[in-house]
Amino acid sequence: MSSSREKPILIIDGKRLDGRSFDQLRPLSITTNVVPNADGSAFIEWGNNKIIAAVYGPKEALPKHTQDPERAVIKCRYAMSPFSSAEEHGSSKPNRRAIEISKITKEVFENVILIDEFPGGEINIYVDVLQSDGGTRAAGITAAAAAVASAGLPMRDIPYAVSVGKADGHLILDMNKIEDNYSDADVPMTICPRTKEIILLQMDGSFDGSKEFREAYSMVLKAGEEISRIQKEALKEPYTKIIDKYR
Amino acid sequence: MRNIILPGEALPKMPSRAHEVIEEDGRFIATVIGMYDDEKGTFWPLEGVWYPMRDEIVIGIVEEAKLNSYTVNLNSLYKGIIIAKYSSKLFAGDVIEAQVRDLDETKTVVLMHARKLSGGKMMSIKPSKVHRILGREDTMIREITEGTQSMINVGMNGVIWIKGGDVQKATEAIMKIEEEAHTSGLTERIKSMLSNNKV
Repeated sequence: MSSSREKPILIIDGKRLDGRSFDQLRPLSITTNVVPNADGSAFIEWGNNKIIAAVYGPKEALPKHTQDPERAVIKCRYAMSPFSSAEEHGSSKPNRRAIEISKITKEVFENVILIDEFPGGEINIYVDVLQSDGGTRAAGITAAAAAVASAGLPMRDIPYAVSVGKADGHLILDMNKIEDNYSDADVPMTICPRTKEIILLQMDGSFDGSKEFREAYSMVLKAGEEISRIQKEALKEPYTKIIDKYR
Repeated sequence: MRNIILPGEALPKMPSRAHEVIEEDGRFIATVIGMYDDEKGTFWPLEGVWYPMRDEIVIGIVEEAKLNSYTVNLNSLYKGIIIAKYSSKLFAGDVIEAQVRDLDETKTVVLMHARKLSGGKMMSIKPSKVHRILGREDTMIREITEGTQSMINVGMNGVIWIKGGDVQKATEAIMKIEEEAHTSGLTERIKSMLSNNKV
């Protein structure tokens, strides 16, 4: 959210600036196994966001003092490339924002991966934003989830993330950069589709009471079916391609 | 009917041999990508991590020669250890084939019957595909060995060592199996691939 005094109009004639309806996602596509050196990887294009996620491990956690004798540790690095955005983020050095997103991504995957199976191990998750247009933390988690699944790490579910916000009195789903900057609320959520558990919830700004929050939650769940379907198709694609070849 | 199952998807019943399936609220949840066979009720992982088991054959590289033991890199989270007095003299960098004797509480794999492999070429594949490389009753690996006249040792940790014969062709065959492990009729395809290019 920006402190600019001149707030632009975000909703015109019941449509958003890019012509979407309130609960419409941006075009989304995911490709898996894009980094052959990694154990698992995924590339996501979500609107104008382009993000690569790569997963390595489990391997021995080094330096040794980071090891946990009861479970694996997850080390996550979210970084924006210097050319990813029109404004700020000029450097890929970890700044306050990158450290925060790395931390929340790590915590999401601590809840999904069966880390108890690898005591003393470490799992590395790298999320690199090549081009950003708002909602990169959600897109990064969605891509990383596909990468973790393609790495063969045991996980309870394949989570997805999407943000929901509020602009000019309307709840809007999957905000882009401008909406993100000038909206009244920005709530990224990560959900486990099987149990509908919320495993990440952040809030910037405010909603009017719990009724509006429930409405936002149901918007996320509805859109999540579509995101989850695309994630699953991307994970199946390398296998179905070969099955079809010999049919 | 074989279906591709993704992590988080429920299986109708608990498969017989399944390290990769957990039970939650009375449902059987797959935790990795795998194939489920409706008729036989079996689930086998297509992606996965290697979990050492007793008596398995593994291949690794000696990392360090200590006073009374050797540590072995097994290309995984687990580190191998060979007690020096039960083994011939080894040096750091040697490629060895050994059998898993035990797993100790720090998840170190104690190895026995270590045998040095000299020369040859090493390659690594996904550990979940090793069973397909070996084939039912070792039929697939025998096919490759006969077709290429190579000596091939397969470690359950996903490391493969090839020596002699047509190494290039053996490597190609193994990579093809790794890629197409989930399809049927693979043995036939490998057989024809090897016989077509026979020198």
